[in-house]
Amino acid sequence: MKSSSERYAALVRLVESRTVTRVTPPLLLPAGPFFDLAGEEFGRNLLLTTANNGVEYCLRPDFTLPIAQGYLDDGMVGVPAAYTYLGTIFRQQNGFPVEHEQAGLELLGQPDASAALDQVLTFARWALAIYDITAPNIRLGGVGLFEAFLEAAEVPPAWRARIRHRFGHPEALSRLMERLSEPRERIGVQAPDGRETMIEIVTDAMLSGGLSLIGSRTPEEIADRYLEKQALESSPIPERTVKLLNDYLAVSDSAQRALDTIGNLCRAHGFDFEEPLFQVRNHAAALAALSPKADVIFDAAFSPRLDYYTGIVFEMTGSDGEVLASGGEYDRLIDRLGATQPVTASGCALWTARLEKEANL
Amino acid sequence: MSSSGGLTLAVPSKGRLEELTRKAFSSSRLTIARPGGVRSYVGSIKNQPQVTVRFYPAAEIARELILGGIDIGVTGTDLIHEASENGEDNVLFVRGLGFGEANVVVAVPDAWIDVQQMVDLADVASDFRARHGRWLRVATKYVNLTRRHFAQYGIAEYRIVESAGATEAAPASGSADLIVDITSTGSTLAANSLRILEDGLIMKSEANLIVSRTADWTPLRKAQLEALLSIMGGVPPGISTLL
Repeated sequence: MKSSSERYAALVRLVESRTVTRVTPPLLLPAGPFFDLAGEEFGRNLLLTTANNGVEYCLRPDFTLPIAQGYLDDGMVGVPAAYTYLGTIFRQQNGFPVEHEQAGLELLGQPDASAALDQVLTFARWALAIYDITAPNIRLGGVGLFEAFLEAAEVPPAWRARIRHRFGHPEALSRLMERLSEPRERIGVQAPDGRETMIEIVTDAMLSGGLSLIGSRTPEEIADRYLEKQALESSPIPERTVKLLNDYLAVSDSAQRALDTIGNLCRAHGFDFEEPLFQVRNHAAALAALSPKADVIFDAAFSPRLDYYTGIVFEMTGSDGEVLASGGEYDRLIDRLGATQPVTASGCALWTARLEKEANL
Repeated sequence: MSSSGGLTLAVPSKGRLEELTRKAFSSSRLTIARPGGVRSYVGSIKNQPQVTVRFYPAAEIARELILGGIDIGVTGTDLIHEASENGEDNVLFVRGLGFGEANVVVAVPDAWIDVQQMVDLADVASDFRARHGRWLRVATKYVNLTRRHFAQYGIAEYRIVESAGATEAAPASGSADLIVDITSTGSTLAANSLRILEDGLIMKSEANLIVSRTADWTPLRKAQLEALLSIMGGVPPGISTLL
């Protein structure tokens, strides 16, 4: 039986193993990039402080962003890198400041994204093993899979964007799906002939309202979206496609069965979806091989709210349902931070106090 | 002090809110005295020596009620919800006082003819950054209420621009794209060519008599609270059992 300090020492060894670089971003970070990346919803959880010149800083709320930023700043784009970390993060939770210790891995710019994800899963698995957690509940989700599905199901592109945007937000998504399933009333106002007229009308309204025509939404943008909305209302998604979408989102089962169900759904709908499913099947199989006792679930509607996630996402939970480890692929992150070329990224974060608690059960 | 009893009542320190609060109390034969005039911040109620009256700005009353620094206060419901993320859990709304009615609403430029509901706003927010290289900006002094309301509609892609005053001018001045603000008649919004979204009502607010849950409630002080509320009227007995 290992003691708590032995477990911790083993975790440090994992984080400092020879194939990775352990990094420690500063505790005090500019808050702007976090707001820029994740928006106000994540921003509300930051512990903020303001410099005398008015610039906002925050206590390190997460390791991923500063590590990715450092990768960019050091001109590493195009170079494969494997970073690990172990340290404290600070957030506001239910209105109170809290600190947690996190460990994790970030694989950036790896040539084989799929192998990188398996490495991440292995890392998480090893970390859990240090704490004698051999049968966690593992939930997989497919952000990339859902995007591919929307395309394969021939959902009109304008609707696709709207649906994709709400993925990972069950409430908003179900509201949208409800809107799709109901027979719609036509918008009362008909567009008077064409785009040019609409642009004129919006321009007049903006000028009389004292709005600048540049800097915020432009008259063209508003008119186009208005017309697009009318077009969408008049060409709704076919009922059977809406049903397919709902059926897809409802799939949550042991990985093998869930993926088979999705494959069958698609086939019944007249298209083949095996190729996109193949990747997910592989990772699910890798996970099952890594931890035969773990319960691996594929939940089609599961996605983190942050929209820089791209491929497969996962979370591992303990006996009381608390998340012990979570992560996935987020190729859009480095792009968002301003990289000039695509950079693959995958990683995971572990909650050390929860792992320790689980070990003591 | 608390063990020996005594209640602190906070009253808005100026303007129409102060006037109407004092009127509401005096109509229940509770006459609030402010001996030093507007520059004094302590007062009393005639024949109620156990009550100390403090005059605070309305937002500060909300904060102090949540923290338990005062026992009873009069302030707007909106300010309780705004003062802290779980502010409403820390207080007890005893009753509305029938004044200070206003709505906290989401309003967009009237020229945004394609935006009628929050779902439209979610669409606009989702690709705003790709189009304009920055987040959609919302001017407001109601940071918490805005975050909560937007989160409910799955809108994460925006930034709040805190505004201290004249929020309604933000879209025209270019400092924000839309606003969340308080309005009673909507005329200020209309004058600034802003339109409330169909489902843009975040909350209906009015001046409320509010009791702090976090204050140190001894049996004696609870009894004093019951006595005071029974004089006020319109409040069922037994409020103190909820504390």
